[in-house]
Amino acid sequence: MKMIACTEGRSDKIEAFSLEMIAAARSVAAAGDEVVAFFAGQAAKAAAASFGAADRMIVADAAGSDLIPAETYARLLRDAVTAEQPDLVLVPYSANGLDVAADIAARTGWPLLSYVNEIKRDGETLTVVAQMYGGKVLAECVVKLPAVLMVNPGAFAEAVPSPIDATKIQQIDAKTAIESAKVKMVAIDVPDYADVDLTTAERIVCVGRGIGDEASIDIARDLATILGAEIAGSRPVVDNGWLPKLRQVGKSGQKVKPKLYLALGVSGAPEHLEGMSHADLIIAVNTDPKAPIFNVAHYGATCDLFDLVASLSDRLQAPPGR
Amino acid sequence: MNILVVLRMIPDSAGELQLAEDGRGIDREWLDFQLNDFDDHALEEAILLKEAGGATVTAVAIGEGANRVLQMAAARGADEVIALQAEDDAMISSRTIAATIAATARDKSADLILCGVQSTEDVFGQLAPYVGAMLDWPHVSGTNRVVADGAGLRVTQERGAGVAVTYEMTLPAVLGVQTASKAPRYVSGSKLREASKTPIGRAALEPSGFERSAEIRELRLPAQGGSGEDLGNDAENVADRLVTILAVNGLTANGLARK
Repeated sequence: MKMIACTEGRSDKIEAFSLEMIAAARSVAAAGDEVVAFFAGQAAKAAAASFGAADRMIVADAAGSDLIPAETYARLLRDAVTAEQPDLVLVPYSANGLDVAADIAARTGWPLLSYVNEIKRDGETLTVVAQMYGGKVLAECVVKLPAVLMVNPGAFAEAVPSPIDATKIQQIDAKTAIESAKVKMVAIDVPDYADVDLTTAERIVCVGRGIGDEASIDIARDLATILGAEIAGSRPVVDNGWLPKLRQVGKSGQKVKPKLYLALGVSGAPEHLEGMSHADLIIAVNTDPKAPIFNVAHYGATCDLFDLVASLSDRLQAPPGR
Repeated sequence: MNILVVLRMIPDSAGELQLAEDGRGIDREWLDFQLNDFDDHALEEAILLKEAGGATVTAVAIGEGANRVLQMAAARGADEVIALQAEDDAMISSRTIAATIAATARDKSADLILCGVQSTEDVFGQLAPYVGAMLDWPHVSGTNRVVADGAGLRVTQERGAGVAVTYEMTLPAVLGVQTASKAPRYVSGSKLREASKTPIGRAALEPSGFERSAEIRELRLPAQGGSGEDLGNDAENVADRLVTILAVNGLTANGLARK
């Protein structure tokens, strides 16, 4: 069996989940199977220095382009798939992967399963566990090969980085695909973290959809002030314009690891959990006892969040002995 | 410009999901269905493009409550609305509906297809890349800004960590919208009533052309609660416990004040 693990980078760095894709492929590989890492981008050197856990590497070196549009990436991957005829293609669930996975599945006609957490091999088929309904349901599926899987970041531990032997690296031409692209990158905007940097915050109070309306954000902000915490929000809150983008936690926001993460009215979609599940102490308040946030919380409460914020603020503002 | 926008009705994300008796689906009988959030943003982006430079917007809806959402789309500015007949009690899989969306786009001479970047029922793949690949049109997913620019588009895409990437792309194209350039607008009751006269077209689903992605052996609910402690639902009690928990972890307000 041959597996292609899709990997990514931006500028001169590889994305950490690239090593997870190689590890995921490795985890289903038997003796004699081959794990091929596919890389397209500028960070070809960094990839070669890290992807030693793969048996081979196919590289489309795009020197001079900080980031390859998914359209170009998918086209280069398609060429590799045609040449290699793999049994399995693993694509990360990333901004790029969202465009690549179904594209390759549509053009090959192969099965595709997204939001994959577990992969087990049963002879000629795979048993795959995928998330549905925002992580509220897990689907155990039987997938026939060849197939494409879009794998959740964090589902597999990273392969140990080591250099890959130069003789195992095959360069493919990226120039034609880049020049004939219908999607061309014109700018990358990296935010200025001078004002807010959630990634270094020690304490975060995060509000979710359960906060209800914009005015109520202030109530949570007051508690954050008392706790010496930064205020943050989940995607729906930021999409509504109630908090600035820099204060968003999750897949398309910041990945945080504070000492305290107090989640108020956050349901805990997988994309949110990806950004905060490694916090030291997670306290979640949500009236829905089945909210997935409770699966990662150290302490959970199902009371009304406004009642709690009022009670907690009172207690913290009136310290005993003063 | 002719824009086709896709509106999918999905189970209310805040509602409780029950598994069907055979364990291979969710029980849809008592569920509330609502418009996929991302599709709502796709509709808004379509209307914003129409307002900015002129366009004809065709909205296609699928799933329970499609008619209601199409009236809302008409009230917001869609020129033509079409209900796709979904299979009864089946989840709305992008892999299944992509061929019909592609065919509708051809039929309406669409230059641009907008849909939400994801839905909670797209475990077999996402709609924008499926449709883009089937039509061999370029596609970009995760957009938060779309501007018509000469013969093409200027599109901004959200990446992780607040990084935003701007692309120029040619038309025709498919976009998976994450966030519209402006939040979806409110529609007044009077506008809705007026729009309720808009005739709703009907169309049937075409065969997907794909083999099935997978056989679902079993659906299950994730293990509940993890190893966390349940503090209950009494706010006063919870607050008392949290004060102690914060103190034990060196996280009191006073502790910080001294820092």
